[in-house]
Amino acid sequence: MSSIKEQFEIPAKLKTWSYALIGVGLLALIVGFITKGRGTEEEQAVFIGTIMYNTIFWTLVTNASMFFICITTLAMGGWQQSFRRIPEAISTMVPIFGSITVVVLLYVVFSGNHHIYHWLDTNAVASDEILKGKSGFLNVKFFTIWTLLAVGLWSLLGWRMRQLSNEADVAAFNGETGPSFIWRNTVRAAMFTVWFALTVGSTVPWLWLMSLDAHWYSTMYSWYTFASSFVSGMSLIALWVIYMKNKGYLEYTNEEHLHDLGKFMFAFSIFWTYLWFSQYMLIWYSNQPEETLYFKHRVQGVYKGIFFLNLIINFICPLLILMKRSTKRNYTLVTFMAVLIIFGHWIDFYQMVMGSISKEHVTLGWLDFGILSLFVGLMILFVAKALAKKPLIVKYHPFLKESIIHHT
Amino acid sequence: MHLKYESQLREPLVYGTKTYHDVTEDIVRPIEAKPSKLWYIGFYIAVALLLFGIYSIYRDVTYGIGQWNLNKTIGWGWDITNFVWWVGIGHAGTLISAILLLFRQGWRTGVNRAAEAMTIFAVMCAGQFPIWHMGRVWMAFFVLPYANTRGPLWVNFNSPLLWDVFAISTYFTVSLLFWYSGLLPDLATVRDRAKTKLRKHLYGVASFGWTGSTKHWQRHESLSLVLAGLSTPLVLSVHTIVSFDFATSVVPGWHTTIFPPYFVAGAIFSGFAMVQSLMVIIRKVFGMEDYITMGHIEAMNKVIVLTGSIVGVAYLTELFMGWYSQNKYEGYTFWYSRANLFSPYGWSYWGMMACNVLSPQIFWFRKMRRNLFVTFFMSVIVNIGMWFERFVIIVTSLYRDYLPSAWSVYYSPSIWEIGFYLGTFGLFFTCFFLFAKYFPVIAIAEIKYVLKTTGESYKGKMGHLEHVPAEVFAHSGHGHTIVENDGAN
Amino acid sequence: MAKKKFVVGCFDDEATLFPAVKKVRTAGYKIHDVYTPFAVHGLDHEMGLRETSLHTAGFIYGITGTTTALSFISWILTYDWPLNIGGKPHFALPAWIPIIFELTVLFAAVGMVLTFCYLCQLSPFIKKHHFHARATDDLFVMVIETTDKTNVEDLKAFLSNAGAVETDVQIAEEGWWLGRYDKDQVPFQNKIVAA
Repeated sequence: MSSIKEQFEIPAKLKTWSYALIGVGLLALIVGFITKGRGTEEEQAVFIGTIMYNTIFWTLVTNASMFFICITTLAMGGWQQSFRRIPEAISTMVPIFGSITVVVLLYVVFSGNHHIYHWLDTNAVASDEILKGKSGFLNVKFFTIWTLLAVGLWSLLGWRMRQLSNEADVAAFNGETGPSFIWRNTVRAAMFTVWFALTVGSTVPWLWLMSLDAHWYSTMYSWYTFASSFVSGMSLIALWVIYMKNKGYLEYTNEEHLHDLGKFMFAFSIFWTYLWFSQYMLIWYSNQPEETLYFKHRVQGVYKGIFFLNLIINFICPLLILMKRSTKRNYTLVTFMAVLIIFGHWIDFYQMVMGSISKEHVTLGWLDFGILSLFVGLMILFVAKALAKKPLIVKYHPFLKESIIHHT
Repeated sequence: MHLKYESQLREPLVYGTKTYHDVTEDIVRPIEAKPSKLWYIGFYIAVALLLFGIYSIYRDVTYGIGQWNLNKTIGWGWDITNFVWWVGIGHAGTLISAILLLFRQGWRTGVNRAAEAMTIFAVMCAGQFPIWHMGRVWMAFFVLPYANTRGPLWVNFNSPLLWDVFAISTYFTVSLLFWYSGLLPDLATVRDRAKTKLRKHLYGVASFGWTGSTKHWQRHESLSLVLAGLSTPLVLSVHTIVSFDFATSVVPGWHTTIFPPYFVAGAIFSGFAMVQSLMVIIRKVFGMEDYITMGHIEAMNKVIVLTGSIVGVAYLTELFMGWYSQNKYEGYTFWYSRANLFSPYGWSYWGMMACNVLSPQIFWFRKMRRNLFVTFFMSVIVNIGMWFERFVIIVTSLYRDYLPSAWSVYYSPSIWEIGFYLGTFGLFFTCFFLFAKYFPVIAIAEIKYVLKTTGESYKGKMGHLEHVPAEVFAHSGHGHTIVENDGAN
Repeated sequence: MAKKKFVVGCFDDEATLFPAVKKVRTAGYKIHDVYTPFAVHGLDHEMGLRETSLHTAGFIYGITGTTTALSFISWILTYDWPLNIGGKPHFALPAWIPIIFELTVLFAAVGMVLTFCYLCQLSPFIKKHHFHARATDDLFVMVIETTDKTNVEDLKAFLSNAGAVETDVQIAEEGWWLGRYDKDQVPFQNKIVAA
């Protein structure tokens, strides 16, 4: 290549780090299995639940990258083209983390662990009018099919989207091929977005997460989950962009682009808070026992600390720190905020899942961080590999030049 | 100065060979010319409607709200339906100015001025309903938290209805400030072209002595950005708070946590539809086809299909939860009072579904998005659908409450309820006609700002840049003449 | 107030305006102001104007709104006249968030607009000197302040050379809105990078 570093070569250090993280994670997994995974059903539930929220979190967070590509494509965005290979690479994690999710979830439903999903307990369902009524939706067959379909189509439609962007590496577009390229992008992005709305925007969080409290329901739940995963997804993109910049890649990406990513992180942190508040306040206000049961032990029980920590990290910090323009253009501060936001929403997923599985005890400990390390390690390794597979610049993308001169 | 470049694949946002002066001419012309016959006809119809509305309100005030057909369970009927409907419409202006800024949608410059004006008028119309619904309207000031003569008894700050008072009045004030501060430079343009003394004086007063100083522009940019930043959460909060009026209660069909974002999506949806209706007319009547292009229309239709689908997801979510919750009251409301076509108000639910969710799906097709007739027709359909939505929410939840003996008779509005609603149309269009006559309907300064980037004739000259390889383009010094940045946020 | 003499140069394209501003500043003339029909991005930096801190003022107004709302409501509902509303605690924070938010926005917006009008001296019935009527139409009007030593004719020629389509000398009263930028115009380190 010319003077531009277009091809990513994985630094040895990155590999070492990711292997180390994976190693720590595997160790935690094995120790966790020995100490907890073979214990009582409750202990097993905690062990599996810990893996479960991690894998769901990372699947949704990496899937958010593909959603980002698709909505910016539909909005005819130009500014993101200079670094679009980053979210593309992150989205290659969906099949990997998605498979782990499928395995874990299917293990749960087929092993019938009703300490995780209460609705798996056939005796309880038989004697419970409400659960019986819900069994049309909460049953193993539907759960399995929908889970497979969701992960499968995210992977497939995302892959098709990435395939299309390869064309922009080959040759320049002209007046005829250009519009057709944009058109096909739009169609594929629309397909992904529609499926995304039918899964992440509605059914999947009900099925995977909300049904942990089999009696409880909240119409907001899925949009809330989406907001949580999307803002973390944007932070993850920002982290990778900064990493690549530090290594001397992504020449066309500068603080203007970082600023816009920062705006997304800021705006969607506020959006998350907005959904959080709406859901919480409405349930608090009307004070109906069948609804408040979800928040009771989270706000007044042992999860109190985590509950407020969640708000401080995910609302107060982004609000005060990311509001300033200079922060959003500062590589160090954006890095710090991105890590903080991802951690904050990981905590959010922790309380969403474990707050329902283990109501009496906060289980946060070495196992959680061990499993987190496993997923972070996998993410770093595979995203780096995906990045190394393609040129980092979509050289002939019709909107690339707009991205080069992008100005906030 | 930054390089003016835009991909040739994008449609120009300004057609024709235009200079800055041409832009001024084109947009100011309707203000300086005598209004057309069509304008007068429209204006008089609007005033007539307004007068009918005023008479309807006069009946309401003198005889009380017994003039309306509200009954024992349906205490909110057309009035609150119309209130929510108008507030919803009043969301598009701020949305176009603020949220589309975040998503870098260049086309918003062509439509933001008229949309913001529409926002203000719609909020004015919306405000009428809760005020006159009070019945004893001379007591309206009771909603204000002032140190009063009623003893130290304050308003109830925990009530969503009071939140509404704050939300709507704040929204109105901020929208007005945002709109008017954006208008200052354009009013100055009209002032500096004025031929008569009176005209010069009036526009001089209205433009606050704007000169176009660089320092003023710098502050103006900062002001607009921050106001846009403030308006984004504000616009969400307003319809959120309207939704809280319903959602904080323990009424089946109202108490649902998705209401806030779903109301906001619906508001954007109906607001865009209303902007679309007005834009199609304005571009025709004022000959603004070069500024409000098919590209603009298409982009707005895309927003309509997007928000229509979001609203659709929300409808289905609610319907699903009506069953999933296994709460029999929720189930009754959603599956009998609404989704059952043969229940007394089932028609309104299916009307809503057909207008809001199903019919906008035709905008998946590019041909439809770029068809003016379809666009106009659909924009009206969507607004009818969104009216149905509010009617469905309010009436189908109220007409059969927990006590069957209290179930009400079939509710249909009296002529004075309808008259009130028509009256707000009169108010809206009277204001809008006056706006279109006396104010620049398109933001002149903003169009000039984008002219040399996206104007058709200027774009033609950038054609050669398309063939420059990216690395040459980036290193030619075009991109980063000035490293320091302008603007505030 | 004292009358002052200004040399006015009108440009019809921002592409010629930018280099002209640079030339004029390098030659040591003091630009009083440049009047433009729209916000020309980057011109303020080219002229060496300080960044505005209007948004900081907005932030302070906003915080004032938050504090006002929170303290006012909590004083009323916990101290002045506590009421049992729906069995909720007197300090019912979640129910106050909406009003607190609205007042934050209201204070910030109103405060900022008033500050903006004050700083730019904008108000109805204000009379200002307008150097060129087309400054709000299609001309970029550069106004240069003269001193006793300035050779007006030279300056006019200099401007024409720099691309001005029209030059002119005007005497304007130095009103309280004129010449307020002296402080701003301390030439700050203008980072011009010829990449």
